[in-house]
Amino acid sequence: MMVDASFPLISVLIALPILAGLAIPLLFKNSQKYIIHYAVIVALIELAITFYSYGLILTNGSGGEYNFVEGPVTILGNFGIDYLVGMDGLSGPLVLITSILTLLVLFGSRDLIEDRKVLYYSMIFIFEGSIMGVFTQLNMILFYVFWDVVLIPMFLFIGIWGGPRKRYAAMKFFLFTFVGSIFMLLAFILIYFNVTPHSFNIPEVAGKIPLSLQVISSVLFFIGFGVKLPVVPFHTWLPDAHVEAPAPISVFLAGLLLKMGGYGFLRFNIGLLPEASAQYAWIFILVGIITMFYGAIVAIVQTDIKKMIALTSVNHMGFVMVGAFTGTVFGISGSIFQMFAHAAAVGIMFMLSGYLHEATGTRNITVIKGLKFTSPRLATLLILGSMAAMCIPIFSSFISEYMVILGAIQVNPIYALIVAVPAITVGYFLWMLRRVVMSDLKPGTKKWDLSNISTIALVLYLVPLVLTLIAPWLILDVANPISTFYAALVSGGAA
Amino acid sequence: MDTPLIVLIVLTSVAVTSPLYGIIFGKKSLKYVQYLTTLSLLISLVLLISSTLSLTPQESTVPHLLRNDSLGSFFSLMVILVTLFVTITSFDYMKDNSNENIYYSLLLFTAIGMTMLSFAVDLLVIFVAWELMSLPTFILAGYNKRDKLSNEAAVKFFILGALSSGILLYGISLMFGITGSTNLDIISQSLPTVSADMLPFIIFSTISMLAGLGLKLSIVPFHMWIPDAYEGSPTTISALLSAATKKAGFAAAIRIFAVIFPIFSFDLALALSIVALVTMTVGNLAALTQKSITRMLAYSSIAQAGYLLIGLVVLPYSDLGLLGLLYHSFNHAILQASAFLAAALVRLKTSSSSLDSYNGLSKVMPITSFCLALSLLGLAGIPPLNGFWSKLVLFAAAVDGGYTWLALAGLVNSAISVAYYLLVIKRMYMDETSLKSIKEPFLFISILVFASVVIIVTGLLPNILYNISEDITLSFLSNNPV
Repeated sequence: MMVDASFPLISVLIALPILAGLAIPLLFKNSQKYIIHYAVIVALIELAITFYSYGLILTNGSGGEYNFVEGPVTILGNFGIDYLVGMDGLSGPLVLITSILTLLVLFGSRDLIEDRKVLYYSMIFIFEGSIMGVFTQLNMILFYVFWDVVLIPMFLFIGIWGGPRKRYAAMKFFLFTFVGSIFMLLAFILIYFNVTPHSFNIPEVAGKIPLSLQVISSVLFFIGFGVKLPVVPFHTWLPDAHVEAPAPISVFLAGLLLKMGGYGFLRFNIGLLPEASAQYAWIFILVGIITMFYGAIVAIVQTDIKKMIALTSVNHMGFVMVGAFTGTVFGISGSIFQMFAHAAAVGIMFMLSGYLHEATGTRNITVIKGLKFTSPRLATLLILGSMAAMCIPIFSSFISEYMVILGAIQVNPIYALIVAVPAITVGYFLWMLRRVVMSDLKPGTKKWDLSNISTIALVLYLVPLVLTLIAPWLILDVANPISTFYAALVSGGAA
Repeated sequence: MDTPLIVLIVLTSVAVTSPLYGIIFGKKSLKYVQYLTTLSLLISLVLLISSTLSLTPQESTVPHLLRNDSLGSFFSLMVILVTLFVTITSFDYMKDNSNENIYYSLLLFTAIGMTMLSFAVDLLVIFVAWELMSLPTFILAGYNKRDKLSNEAAVKFFILGALSSGILLYGISLMFGITGSTNLDIISQSLPTVSADMLPFIIFSTISMLAGLGLKLSIVPFHMWIPDAYEGSPTTISALLSAATKKAGFAAAIRIFAVIFPIFSFDLALALSIVALVTMTVGNLAALTQKSITRMLAYSSIAQAGYLLIGLVVLPYSDLGLLGLLYHSFNHAILQASAFLAAALVRLKTSSSSLDSYNGLSKVMPITSFCLALSLLGLAGIPPLNGFWSKLVLFAAAVDGGYTWLALAGLVNSAISVAYYLLVIKRMYMDETSLKSIKEPFLFISILVFASVVIIVTGLLPNILYNISEDITLSFLSNNPV
């Protein structure tokens, strides 16, 4: 049964952060003392609404269809641009992790961001609202609008609060992702004119797109979403952006921005172009596998811990890609789950890299020594975070990767070779831990450790991971209906 | 009500008399001239808004010369709005220049020419309006007479402008020879009946008119003068040239090509599509390498003309073409005016228009920087600003009209253009500056803020302008079937 709320739930999810963000310059022009309190309260309200809506979908088991649908409200004449939003089993977990991560990022920013706070916090909320828009829009053009609006806060985040090469990284980030999105827009326009009646609304065009156009569109989408995910030929912006971005922003980058790519592949390539995706699945899976191996192997040789984590993201996103294009229930659910788990697992690692830089003044793995002596809390969390990123079975990231591998093997046993990827990941993480945490102390190193509040904030990243390991149904009951639906579409397309 | 005539009379009465006030009242007269100019433009604006919204073509006292329809009103609304912006910002920008009274008078003469051009339906009137619009701008471009660059701009502009007028007139005379009339209605009736031997002459006449108009529309290969002229002229005049005179040129182009298209639509559309492709590509690639903001905006303006041409290309094949052209013309006028005027303010305060002087500008001129950033993002077509929607309609029109490759070219060009627009924003917001805080003059800033509000509002509520453009398109096409 589809759920409907008595009030415009999704519009509130989108508008509340954006309006709250726009209000910041007015409210905190003179004194920024309470800005963080204000931000946390807004984020908490947003989180509460998200929990409420997610809970409704979960208890009703209505992940297979669009819930809380609003619209269509005409935005642009008879040109098919309507405001139409809805939340299904694919959007649900992503909306949830967006709210959670925003709150956690605020805690992290409290320690690490010092200057131009007004602009910073205002941008955080504009970013959150636009991401919500991306995950819930059912009109392709408005999806594109939110997709591009997301770029502007991120451009400023990297360019203003970033490291030494921030300007280069910000420009590169913007240009790569914008160029990718252009191709996506062309695909939307082509789809619009090739379905009758002309429409940009996803529910209305689903199942009407002719095969030839599906093939063209899937190439265009591949460029658009592939840049964001990122997949290997288009990934070069990511290490630069991550290395230069401040730690909390890296959390956003890896935790939410990359998910836009994964969401796009599932929503558009699988949902709208199932036949093309079924026929050419092997190409996408191959690209996914290359991405995984590339990410994992290049991560081994990194000396900057942040770059290593960034490449781990690339490697994990390969799983999302492979899972999606297996076209099996396991694979698709696994890739939705992977997006959720990866956001939290890599989020904590990026935050830790930021604190590591605070503690030791460097992020160089070969330089930092004996962390267990100087910063016991940081060291413990680093080990736990690494375990989450390694997909050790005390965190739910294990389940998601396992599901993707299972789905891939169902399609073709050769794909079993991707089991090697987690093995490589474990290898380089353990090597990093041995060098950074388990090594002997250099004499004269100062002690520095996390404050109580920061420790709690960091532990909070691990809570969803443990929780969804114990109760994976929290995600899967929402994701499975839509995966079943998509899997049926794809297997129908293959037949 | 005969809006065009009333507007022309209102503007002319001020334009003709304002140089006299200087003689009569001496130095004090400047204030009166400024107020009178603003007032006459405001009155015209109100009249034009009301006549844009009434869609049926209204009575005109001179029906064979000026057609009082909503298309003309829409274009002249744009140009008058831009002229108003330019006038008010000139209060600060032109302060303490010699002969200021004449400056405003010349601005009004340009406005008169542009208004006439928007409504003109007779080739001779088009030519007269064309000259009336161009001659004052030659003088305005060279207004800083002690400035070498300004002089160079004026001379270059004048020589090429005179050449273009000549070519345009040649095309018109050929058309008169073929059809025996200069009235567009009569031409459209008699063109299909002329014998096939005449076709080469029709083509030649069309090419001549396109070349003549092309110089103002800033299409490649008639674009050479633009960067120099925009850089050398007072920057407010660059805003006028880019945002207003170009739009009036497009109004004339629409009327002329709507008549010629039915004769050989395929060839003409194909030729125009290639011109559009070259124009946007050359504009964008050249803009990437510029070191001065006015030159960069000049090339960006050329590129935008390429996008606008898409609308002309698909005029016979899709209603969206004209719609997108009208819609993007308005948005582009606002965006380009806002960008150029912001650049004018920076030039006024830092006496430089080099891109280096924009480093860290957001710290010393926060409002100007914000308005400039907003208009640049709008020009780049970043949603949800107004430029995005109209570009979307233009590209969709290309797909609808069977020119998918042109849409792809436009999209790739948008992607290229983002690079140079963003570079300015990067400089303003991320680089360091040595400048001390600068006071931003109130009147100037309020114009910029007003333009920004228009950019945001028409971006968030795109339906308003879209519907107006759609109504105008349908009413124009029902009277001029293409």
